[in-house]
Amino acid sequence: MTQDFEYGIDSRYKNANEKTSDSVALMQARLERMKNLPKEQIVRAKLLQLKLRMENYLNEPVHDDKTNFTNFLGIYIDAIYSQRNKFANDINVNPVFLSQIINNHREPKEEFFFKLMIHSEKAFKNVCNFQEEIWYQIYYQEKISGTMSKQNQWRPQIEKQVKFSELIEE
Amino acid sequence: MNTVFAFYVNFPIFVRMNIIEVSTGKAFPIEIIPVEKADYKSLPKSRYFFNWKDEQNEEIYKLVIKGGNTILGLVSLERIPSEWRVHIRLLTVSKENKGSEKEFDKIAGNLITHAAKIAIAEYGELACVSLKPKTEIAQHYIDKYKMNVTGITLSLEVPEILDLVNLFDNNE
Repeated sequence: MTQDFEYGIDSRYKNANEKTSDSVALMQARLERMKNLPKEQIVRAKLLQLKLRMENYLNEPVHDDKTNFTNFLGIYIDAIYSQRNKFANDINVNPVFLSQIINNHREPKEEFFFKLMIHSEKAFKNVCNFQEEIWYQIYYQEKISGTMSKQNQWRPQIEKQVKFSELIEE
Repeated sequence: MNTVFAFYVNFPIFVRMNIIEVSTGKAFPIEIIPVEKADYKSLPKSRYFFNWKDEQNEEIYKLVIKGGNTILGLVSLERIPSEWRVHIRLLTVSKENKGSEKEFDKIAGNLITHAAKIAIAEYGELACVSLKPKTEIAQHYIDKYKMNVTGITLSLEVPEILDLVNLFDNNE
């Protein structure tokens, strides 16, 4: 009969001493292993972390009013490049233009998204399955959430400009 | 955070993890979601091998087929930020998924992968998942999931933890 090793694991620490001694030993061993970690594996981990955070953001039912798109964009660039100018050069945009986007002084245009999608397609190719349209999804999620959460600011003025002249019968 | 706004745009979201029905080889998409208070009524030790009520104050997730209610597996986690680590406290599959007659395969692997995804999302290149299986079954986890051994603790770190996530989270 085949043994099933995967039906259950009880890894709970019996007491604080056991947890502490295990933690110390494990950390020492991990730090040793980390010394030999190649740079490409670190980049790989950072990109997978970014992807998971982007997916988690979209899966959240409640969204804040932070500028998540540009935050994620900055993390993406910093995971791969030592200088953001190099990324600007690789996607053929002016570094000042890129800086303005990252600092929310300018809106990204469609061409910027096209370039970002193609760039990230290449960056993630050997890392993990990455749906490059997620950049669009995060950008528009942020826009929709921002617009709807600020209704008290724009609605009073706009409502004065909108009328409904057609009668809809019940 | 200035404003919290409960508005949800239903973009198609990334369900790639699956389990395999042993009798047919058919893949079923799954989701791993937090256990709710009401779930504890239907988690008897006779079916889920441990007393899960004891874990009520911990971070516990259940594995279900997408859109279904039947709990096929459970995992209880402890996040240890000071060590960039997620420790698997308790993990189980349901009784009908144990042994050679089991209905579905890959349940435990998906639960370990869920812990790995949390660790990577939180700690990036420093991420670690640990567990302490009994000595007689440790070798299975070392071989199957390429786990590192430190004393009697098994752990997954970069790069193996990345490979595991890619293996389980990449089914189209």
